[in-house]
Amino acid sequence: MSDLIGYLLTGLGIGAGFALVGSGLVAIYRVTRVVNFAQGGFAVLAAMLTSSLLGAGLPHGVAELGGVALGALAGLIVGVVAIGRPGTSPGTSLIVTLGMGVLAYAIEVLIWGDQPRSYPGVTGVAEVAGARFPAHYLLILAVTAPVFLLMAWFFTRTDLGKALSACASNRYAAQVVGIDIRRMGLLAFAIGGALGGLAGVLTTPVQQVTFDSDVTLIVNGFAAAVLGGLTRPVVALAGGLLLGVTQTLAAGYGGGAYQVEVALVLMLTVMIVQAARTGPVPETAR
Amino acid sequence: MTRWALLAAGVATLALPPILPERYLATFVLLLLAATVTVGVSLLMGYAGQVSLGQASFYAIGAYAAGLLSVHGVPSLIALAVAPVVAAVAAVLLGAPLLRLRGHHLAFATLAVQLILLSVLAQADWAGGAIGLQGIPRLTVLGVELRDVGYAYAAWVVLAVALLISRNVIESRAGRGLRAAATSETAAAASGVAIGRYRLAVFTLSAAMAGLAGGVYAFYLGYLSPGSFPVLLSIEFVVMAVVGGLGTIAGPVVGAAVITVLVQVLNTLGTQPGMPDYAPSVLSYAVYALVLIVCVLYLPRGLVPALDRLRATRITVAERADPARTGP
Amino acid sequence: MTAVVETHDLTVRYSGATALDGVDLTVHDHEMVALIGANGAGKSTLVKALSGLIRPASGTITVNGRLAQVPEGREMFGDLTVDDNLRLGGWRNGRHGRDTTAIYDLLPELTTVRHRKAGALSGGQQQMVAIGRALMARPDILVIDELSLGLAPLIVTTLVDHLRTLNTDRGLAVLLIEQNARLALDLCDRAYVLEAGRIALQGPAATLADDPRVAAAYLGGHVAVTP
Repeated sequence: MSDLIGYLLTGLGIGAGFALVGSGLVAIYRVTRVVNFAQGGFAVLAAMLTSSLLGAGLPHGVAELGGVALGALAGLIVGVVAIGRPGTSPGTSLIVTLGMGVLAYAIEVLIWGDQPRSYPGVTGVAEVAGARFPAHYLLILAVTAPVFLLMAWFFTRTDLGKALSACASNRYAAQVVGIDIRRMGLLAFAIGGALGGLAGVLTTPVQQVTFDSDVTLIVNGFAAAVLGGLTRPVVALAGGLLLGVTQTLAAGYGGGAYQVEVALVLMLTVMIVQAARTGPVPETAR
Repeated sequence: MTRWALLAAGVATLALPPILPERYLATFVLLLLAATVTVGVSLLMGYAGQVSLGQASFYAIGAYAAGLLSVHGVPSLIALAVAPVVAAVAAVLLGAPLLRLRGHHLAFATLAVQLILLSVLAQADWAGGAIGLQGIPRLTVLGVELRDVGYAYAAWVVLAVALLISRNVIESRAGRGLRAAATSETAAAASGVAIGRYRLAVFTLSAAMAGLAGGVYAFYLGYLSPGSFPVLLSIEFVVMAVVGGLGTIAGPVVGAAVITVLVQVLNTLGTQPGMPDYAPSVLSYAVYALVLIVCVLYLPRGLVPALDRLRATRITVAERADPARTGP
Repeated sequence: MTAVVETHDLTVRYSGATALDGVDLTVHDHEMVALIGANGAGKSTLVKALSGLIRPASGTITVNGRLAQVPEGREMFGDLTVDDNLRLGGWRNGRHGRDTTAIYDLLPELTTVRHRKAGALSGGQQQMVAIGRALMARPDILVIDELSLGLAPLIVTTLVDHLRTLNTDRGLAVLLIEQNARLALDLCDRAYVLEAGRIALQGPAATLADDPRVAAAYLGGHVAVTP
């Protein structure tokens, strides 16, 4: 029983990372219709910078913020390249973000090398209902929850957030009322970058990061996001947490094997069931 | 024009293997194999309008099929012949559910398939696990055990077969139908093209090409591990296809050649004394990334069609007027 | 009278095909002008050019004051509330120009649905939201692309009454693009007839309504149905 609670809480912590990456994907996809393949790279860049900043003696908090800021900046840059040219189709933009993800590899290896990196987070062991697990997982949850609340507030209560939602809802109408949809797309990329960065910064103390960790992150983030059709952040949150818990349970009770498969098969099943229900989804949704 | 150039290139490359220094010979063989896989990727992207980020899966399936069979005593030539069949069967089984997906969904699904395959292979003791499958015998054709130059010719034949099939597909009625389907599904459906079946056929065909190339790869290296088929390899194939030009006959070969040569040159540069040890990987990542981005944004139809257009500027080409609607 | 909108020799092309060919059109302040024409005559192209959503190949567009558009098909932000739809109509005004209270005075029918999702409203209600959203921009001229399309006659009457009031009480100029030519000629002071990207006829609405060519092509019982 205490095993189960331990698995659940660590699973939620891991899942929070997927949820952040996934909701970053959603933030970008809703506004731009682009699936951002470089999303995992934001997490890696942010984590790498944070490790350097901590190594240079900056205090916790400041270093992590620096990492998130780099994620946002990287998001903005990817956005400029991916949607900056007028008339770039979402399919083309997907390939461009794929290229940007590989470019991030070059930059990461150049600056930080190809060895895994990590840094200490909250040290010590937490005990909840008899389950013992690294206390850092609680920090992940304690940060992720308010971040999602903040996002919900931003997208539904502020005019800027509403304008972003308006682009997601009807791009043409957004143009008609004078919203600059390209600018909003870039803002969405920056938000997505920050969310990805936050995922990397939060989870690195419990899961070390290498330059190619982005593949696991993007696939799990996509799996979380695709549950809600890539457009519903709340479902992405739930999906990410579910994935994290499932994987941790699979690892805990399955002896470590096949945890990757669980998430991937889940994602494939969801997509195929969705496609079977709605018929082949036209790629160029407006 | 292109076809004659291709034929000339084919003959020239036949003369190349015996005179190439050994370290370039390896590059040459891998280039031909990559081109073979890329022929399939190009067909899939250009004719089925779909991005596969998991084409290295079929390369791996072919390689492991040939490797496992020959390790267990099956004659190598038969094992090689079975490799594309296994890959094709896998493609039919996977394609039936997966090809309901489109665009980025399919891209992620193929990527997921590859990650699953790699994870399964790494845990499969019968396939050598993470350490890999060792002791694959050499390929024996008509009683002759192939040496390095022999593999160059084997890869050449494999690429030639893939190109021939690709030409036949492109020039067939089905090919034209698919071409239409890649641009407008509704239009193709209206003209009575059985898109679903053609799409599965192209997916299977592209998998078979990758499987065949993978078979040669297994015998050439004599050793296979999951690490030989990273996700990045799948992305490489996409880069090569995009750079060369989707849905053209010569495109995949040009794309594979340009990328391989570029990476080789940078590799040589990166391993010069005084260069840091990470230089080769940084340079090759940067090349893949920049070439892909620049091509997709500025040469969306790839190098081969771009060169064709340059040549054709003197001939007036009437382009279909396509009223681009702004808005929804 | 000063011109609120004036186009001179306006030409728009879509990859080679000419959609508008040398269009001269003027709307003065306080004026209601109708633009009628068949499908594909270039009406929607003109709307988009006036709103700056497409770039003309040649010619000039002069807008003195603010122009707001009620797009064809109403184009709601379907998953946003009516109030949010209206607020975003004032996007260009800055935060202080996004108070929606005045709109509910002008279009009281919207008061009861203000917190509902715009996508869940009826066609007539959505058209009213679209007009309200355009009014949020505090325009000097309202360009309406298909007012009556797909709406019940009773609702159209309500909308027309609102437009008349806005025009007489607040001096709002209106350019009405309308497939129901009879409605448009009834409501407006002047009218233009657009055929194949050119202005074929123009003049006072009453005169055009009596013109046998207009009667035959646009008023003769058979009204082209826009898909």
